[in-house]
Amino acid sequence: MRDLTLTDMERLGAFDEAERTFQMTEEAFRTFYELTARPVRVYLARMTGDDRLADDLLQETYYRFLRASVAFDGDDHRRNYLFRIATNLVHDHRRKPFMEVPPAAAEEVADTRQHGDLAERSVRRMDLHNALKQLKPRERSLLWLAYAQGWSHEEIAAAIGVKTASLKAMLHRARQRLVHRLGSGGRS
Amino acid sequence: MSRAIECPREQEVVNAILAGAWPHRCDDALVSHAASCEVCKEVASVSLLLREDVDQSRIEVHVPAAGQVWWRAAVRARLESTQAAARPMTWMHAITGAIVLGVFLSGLTAVWPLLPAGVGTVRDAANRFLPSAEVTSAIAGGLAQSVVVGLVAGAVLIITPLALYVVLSDD
Repeated sequence: MRDLTLTDMERLGAFDEAERTFQMTEEAFRTFYELTARPVRVYLARMTGDDRLADDLLQETYYRFLRASVAFDGDDHRRNYLFRIATNLVHDHRRKPFMEVPPAAAEEVADTRQHGDLAERSVRRMDLHNALKQLKPRERSLLWLAYAQGWSHEEIAAAIGVKTASLKAMLHRARQRLVHRLGSGGRS
Repeated sequence: MSRAIECPREQEVVNAILAGAWPHRCDDALVSHAASCEVCKEVASVSLLLREDVDQSRIEVHVPAAGQVWWRAAVRARLESTQAAARPMTWMHAITGAIVLGVFLSGLTAVWPLLPAGVGTVRDAANRFLPSAEVTSAIAGGLAQSVVVGLVAGAVLIITPLALYVVLSDD
């Protein structure tokens, strides 16, 4: 992103402009952001496998959300729309055939030296990350939205732009592929 | 026998897991169902793994402050609206330049055939006042050259800023 240097007057001007351009006030945005930023950031990181890219996409997601001229029915609709933007952004960036192993996952390799539950959990997470990264980007999105966010089939279908009947089959295939990958210890 | 790809109760299973109620704080019938239903069993195993990952990641992940995200968005919105506002002006400048150039060239084309006649008129007028035909024809020749030089200079003066504008313009 371009480095910006602004005077105080320009900043004030920018805020005035934002209040007019954006679909919510700064106060309302803060509340909404506190509720959604972490889930969206985790989603972006899992979908891209790249923390830096996830940070950039997080900013872009909220920018597009703020500039959207959509009449929201409620908080669920607003949240779903936000994830829809994030999903589309990830798909735009999915030219990379495979994700890089996230730094967090690499750190977990060291964590496996820990004992008991924590170590087992770390191994499970690492296997999950490895298995997820072998799936297609769209399959990762489907599984995440369905089983980590708890979206209904209709909501997911609307978000990714497919028919609900097609989605059920796609979700089934993605789930089976993930289970298969997990069964083989996340190895391809 | 083909395997079912969905179960009407799978959403209930997912909801119970994401609410943290699975398996001890939810309907026993649902847990029993999931134990016997291939689809729900698979859904539960995947959802439990993903939820565990989400819970842990939410603790680990760092997100920028809301104010920072808002500020960046506000600055960007302002830059974009400034650029959007400047776009029609750029077009207007280009169109105005083209019109001026067109008018100048068409004027030049209209005037060009009249130049020899004009020079002749000047020469005739000069003949009346000046004693020598050589002097008047020399003045007329010089005048004709001056008109051509003036026109070329005028064209350069108009075209140069336009060309510079087109080359240096962002759009």
